[in-house]
Amino acid sequence: MEKTRMTKPDDTRRNFLKSSGSLFGASWLAINMPLILSASETAVENQQTGTGYENLSIEQALELDALVNQIIPADETPGAAETGVVYFIDAALGGFMSNAASVFGKGLNEFLQQTKAAYPGSMRFSELSPEQQTAMLKSVEETPFFGMLHFLTLCGMFSMPAYGGNRGDSGWNLVGFDHRHAWQPPFGFYDAAVHGQSTAEQDET
Amino acid sequence: MIPSSAQPKYNTREEVDFVIIGAGAAGGVLARELSTNGFTVVVLEQGQYRTAADFKHDELDVVFNNDLLNHPRWNDPQTFRRSETETAEQTQGGPPPAYYARGVGGSSVHFTANYWRFHQSDFMERSLLGPMEGTGFADWPIRYEELEPYYARVEWECGVSGQPGPFDAPRSRPYPVPPMPVKSSGVLFEKGARAIGLHPQPAPLAILSKPLNGRPACVHCGFCMGFGCEVNAKSSTLAAMIPLAEATGRCEIRPLSTVFRIETNDAGRVTEVVYLDSAGRQQAQKAKAVIVSANGAETPRLLFLSESSRSPEGLANSSGIVGKYLMGNGHSITQAAFEHPLNEFKSVQVTRIVHDFYENDPARGFYGGGGMDARPFLDSTPILHAMTGLPPGKPTWGPEFKKMLRHYFTRKMSVLGSTTSVPLASNNITLDPRLKDDKGRPAIRMTYMDHADDLAMATFLQDRAVEILGAAGAAEIWREPVEGGTVQAHLLGTCRMGDDPVTSVVDRYHRAHDVPNLFICDGSTFVSSGRGQPTMTIQALAFRAAEHISRFARNGEI
Repeated sequence: MEKTRMTKPDDTRRNFLKSSGSLFGASWLAINMPLILSASETAVENQQTGTGYENLSIEQALELDALVNQIIPADETPGAAETGVVYFIDAALGGFMSNAASVFGKGLNEFLQQTKAAYPGSMRFSELSPEQQTAMLKSVEETPFFGMLHFLTLCGMFSMPAYGGNRGDSGWNLVGFDHRHAWQPPFGFYDAAVHGQSTAEQDET
Repeated sequence: MIPSSAQPKYNTREEVDFVIIGAGAAGGVLARELSTNGFTVVVLEQGQYRTAADFKHDELDVVFNNDLLNHPRWNDPQTFRRSETETAEQTQGGPPPAYYARGVGGSSVHFTANYWRFHQSDFMERSLLGPMEGTGFADWPIRYEELEPYYARVEWECGVSGQPGPFDAPRSRPYPVPPMPVKSSGVLFEKGARAIGLHPQPAPLAILSKPLNGRPACVHCGFCMGFGCEVNAKSSTLAAMIPLAEATGRCEIRPLSTVFRIETNDAGRVTEVVYLDSAGRQQAQKAKAVIVSANGAETPRLLFLSESSRSPEGLANSSGIVGKYLMGNGHSITQAAFEHPLNEFKSVQVTRIVHDFYENDPARGFYGGGGMDARPFLDSTPILHAMTGLPPGKPTWGPEFKKMLRHYFTRKMSVLGSTTSVPLASNNITLDPRLKDDKGRPAIRMTYMDHADDLAMATFLQDRAVEILGAAGAAEIWREPVEGGTVQAHLLGTCRMGDDPVTSVVDRYHRAHDVPNLFICDGSTFVSSGRGQPTMTIQALAFRAAEHISRFARNGEI
């Protein structure tokens, strides 16, 4: 009936959505994340001063830099690493994800071992070519480790900068989210005319 | 936040007139009404006493760490299963099956604030349509006309923005303040709905479009669904009712007070309410009467926990139906992206609704009715958008994913369809036989699977949503799967109201059939589910219950 493109959800997405039911749709991975993020101030401090990590080794952090940049790469705007996502992850593993920290650490180390096995000549994941990195990560897309990495990357990229990622609102700027405490109509392109403004003024992201 | 200094401090060993368990949508109204009517009231609330200054735009904490949901003092897990033949499993991470906010104001603090009145039919569908075999399909003991004055009181005293629509039931007063300004999703929804011959209307919301009763208008910050309002424009009982209860000098709010048990004496009357206070000490507050307003999951749990030799199956449960007939409303989600920015992250969730399909229609081939609304839904905040908002079948990481994040966030909207729930004894709240919370209380176990008619109605609404969005000119439309809910934010029906003590838990005045000085007033007393927005009716029932309970107390009839 409609001229617009209709797409059907694939199975992976379907299973993903299932975890939280029809009302809330999706979004919550089946991992524990119960506690308040307490280490965030430390994360911001560490990020700002360039000092080390609380819960990650330097090597893990370097590899994670490359990994999170595969999830959200740099192009004309910063990738996940540049926005401080690894600082966020470091804090999360000592805070609200602390009960999953050992699972995550184990998953990361296993992944790095698998990488060495798959690319015997190279030393590290971070030293692979971008294409090799993508291929390697694709091969573990269905693992719990990847699920956690993906979840943490998105949380770090788009949570409040106080948590260590989203530096200078770079994650928010990427999607066009402008964090203010008050707005006035018109809010968007399609309600501009109703509220007496030309649509052109609203046609910017 | 420290409770108002106007609050009295009652001695737990001396009877107060009423103990109210739960300071939520119903409990807040009852506290205000009963204290205003001259009674002494203690409100026991397991959550914190937060106020507007304590709320924040912190998506990670509020949405993902369940900051407003978690028990403030200890781990209080829940389990879920589809049917009684399965072993219920604890949900790991994510939202709990019974999804409600803890704290003064309860879920009225974090709700989306859609405030649809029920229609006349909602109270009498069994009479109108006939029986549904094997279900608890029944009329309410009251009719819309009896509740109408209290709907008006909710609108004026709690504060509802709106404008009457073509399908609304009759009303005695206009809305106190006009509808919220329309958003792009509302404009598009209205355009598409009109194009296919429907009758969209402004959404009634318990969020103030203009100042009312000393509270300010909404500033359109965009953090409504799941968040607490930072300016008190959302008409939670925290903002609208609790301050008035406190101002009487007769109402004491005790936050961080988790009730374990209601004690009964040999005469079958409740005598005191046992709870752990904010310091973790066991207390028992004596009362002449107790009102349970703990929500449709916590209320039956507490009644089960209050079993005794007189009532081994649970307090007020001689009927055996406490916990049964849980209704959560069915839902369908349809997503769309448009060419230009909608910026749905601004302002309230919903500004336009469609009620053309509210009533049952035999031509559809199944029982049910529903409402539809336009909203950002999970696209109002960036983390949820990144995890759930993008079209299916596309990369979820990498350069293409990043391009999609850049494109879709400002251009997305959803249409949510909300439906009736057929009341089924097999959908229920029970005590989990194995899992306990940190204090040894059996966990809430939810058993739930939407009736086939509920899912059919949800799909019917999704089909209409696709037509509406197509007619509105959407560039892309996609459907989220319609399937049985595993998370219920509408906890209805588990202590249903009725005239017959064999088939209901409370009478038409919310008094437990079995216990003369025990009242139950929250979503649990619903007989039917309505079409998806229950809080307005929960509060109208609370205003009405308070009037009758006050009368009984004055006449020595409790």
